[in-house]
Amino acid sequence: MSPSVFWTLVRKDLYLMRGFIILTVAVGLGSLVLVAFGGVAFAVGGILFLTVNVGSGIFIAMFTYIAERKENTRLFALSLPISGQQLDLAKLVAAFITYLIPWLTLTLAALLLFLLPPAVTKGMIVYVLMLQCFVIALFSTVLATMAVVRSEPAVGVVIIASNIAFSLFMVTLNLPRVSAPLHGPYIVWTEISVWMLAGDAAVFLVGLVFSLSMITRNRDHL
Amino acid sequence: MTPENPNAFSLRGVSRSFSHFRLADLSLDLPLGQIMGLVGPNGAGKSTTIRLLMGLLIPESGEIEMLGRRVSSDIADIKRDVAYVSDDMRLYGTATLGWHMKLIASIYAGWDAGYAAQLLHRFNLNAEQPVKGLSRGEHVKSLLLLALARRPRLLILDEPTSGLDPVARHELLTELMEIVRDESRSILFSSHNTLDVERICDQIAFIDRGRLVDTRDKESFLERWRRLQLDLPPGTSLPDLPDAIDVSLGERMASFATAGYGPDMEARLQAAGVRIHDVQRMSLEEIFVASVLHSRRGVAP
Repeated sequence: MSPSVFWTLVRKDLYLMRGFIILTVAVGLGSLVLVAFGGVAFAVGGILFLTVNVGSGIFIAMFTYIAERKENTRLFALSLPISGQQLDLAKLVAAFITYLIPWLTLTLAALLLFLLPPAVTKGMIVYVLMLQCFVIALFSTVLATMAVVRSEPAVGVVIIASNIAFSLFMVTLNLPRVSAPLHGPYIVWTEISVWMLAGDAAVFLVGLVFSLSMITRNRDHL
Repeated sequence: MTPENPNAFSLRGVSRSFSHFRLADLSLDLPLGQIMGLVGPNGAGKSTTIRLLMGLLIPESGEIEMLGRRVSSDIADIKRDVAYVSDDMRLYGTATLGWHMKLIASIYAGWDAGYAAQLLHRFNLNAEQPVKGLSRGEHVKSLLLLALARRPRLLILDEPTSGLDPVARHELLTELMEIVRDESRSILFSSHNTLDVERICDQIAFIDRGRLVDTRDKESFLERWRRLQLDLPPGTSLPDLPDAIDVSLGERMASFATAGYGPDMEARLQAAGVRIHDVQRMSLEEIFVASVLHSRRGVAP
C-alpha cells in the first residue's frame, strides 16, 4: 500500500466534508447551549443534540458509500494509484474521522456541561456517555450496512431501521429504573448502565469488523 | 517493462460473466508507442474490457498485464504510470478544477504543471470554477487535462470524445497524436466514433457482444476490405461467396463487402458470368459494420 496516496485520499474526503463537520459541531454546540437553559429549551436542545448526532452518522455513511457510486466520482478515485481495497479502507478511515471529530467535540462539551459548576446533576454524565456510545455504535452499524446495500429502497430501509433502533434505545434509557439514578447529583455506575455500555462497545466492534471484512471480500470495486 | 513483453498491455483469454452479459475469451495486445482504437456498438464490452484492465473488475479466467506487470498483483503501482478517463467518470462537484489539479499533483511525481497550464488555456477552462458549474464538455476536458498532465506511459480513454464539441475533439486528437510521438507512450481509445479512430489509431480492435471480432493494424484493415459493385448480365446470378457480407442484390446489379477480395474471388465471379463494375475502398465505419455482421453470422472475417 502507498501510505501517501492512502492518506491523501483520507484528507480528500475530510476536505470535501469540512463544511458538514463545521455545521454539525456548530449545531451540536448550539443545542447544548439550549440544554443549559433548562425547561423547554432543555427539551428542544436535547432533541436537536440527538438529531445532530444520529443524523450526521447516517449522512456520513451515505456520503461514504452511496453518493460516490451515484455521482460516479468513485471511478475517478479508482483511477488513482491505489487498489480498490485500499480505496475502500481509506473511505472507511475517513468516514470514522469525519464522524469522530464532531462526536468527540460534542461528547466532551456535553460532559463538561454536566461536570462543571453550576451543574447539579453530575449523574447525567453516565446518561450522556450511554447516549453517545449508543450513537457511535449505531454509526458503525449503519456504515457497515451501507457497505453492502446498493439500491435506494435498501438505503431507506437502513435509515428507518436505525431510527427504530434509536427510538427503542431512548425508550429503554428513559425507563425509570434505568434513568432514575442518572438524574442525581453524583455519578452512579449502575449494573444496567455498564451492561449497556459494554453492549454498545460490542456492536461498535462488530460493525467495524463487518466493514473490514466486506472490504477484504469485495472482488469488484465499482 | 520486460523485454519478453514489449506491450503496453496484454490480455490473454480473459473472461468475465454478468447476469445478462459475458465477455468471453478476450485476447488483445497493444504494442508500446501505439494508439489502439477499441470499437464496438453499445453494450459490446468496451467498458468492461477497460475496467478489467484497470483492475476495477476481476476476471474469472485469463491473465492481464499492463506495462509488463500483472494487474492482479500490482495494480496500485501500475496505476502510477497509467491515466484513465471514462465518459461516465465525474470529479467532485463541490471542489474546483484547481483543487483537483493540486490533488493529482500531490500524488503523481511526474505531474507537469506547465503542460497543465497550457491545457487549461487551450481547453478554455477556469481552474477556480467549482466543478458542479461545468458543462458536460468542460467536465470531460477537465478530466482529460488531469490525465494528460500526469504524463502517463499508458493513457486509457473510454469514449472520451462523446461530450466534446468538434473543436475540442480536434484538439484532443491532435494532443493524443503528439503524446505517442514519444515511443514509450501508448493509448487505448474506445469510441463509437470511427472517424476519430480512423484518424489517430495505429491498431484497431472490433468488439461485439463480448467477443473480439477482429484486431489488426489500421492499414491492414483498410487494405483488406473492399466493396464490389457488380453487373449481372441477363441469365446470370451471384455465385455463392462465403466471404460476401452485406449483399445488396438488384435485377441487373449487385454489391457486397468482403475481406476476401483477390484473384480467386475474381475468377469465381468471372466463371459465373458476373462482371466487376467497380472495386471501392471502404471507410473504417463500413468495415466495422461489415465485420460485425460477418461475426454475427458465425464466420470469422
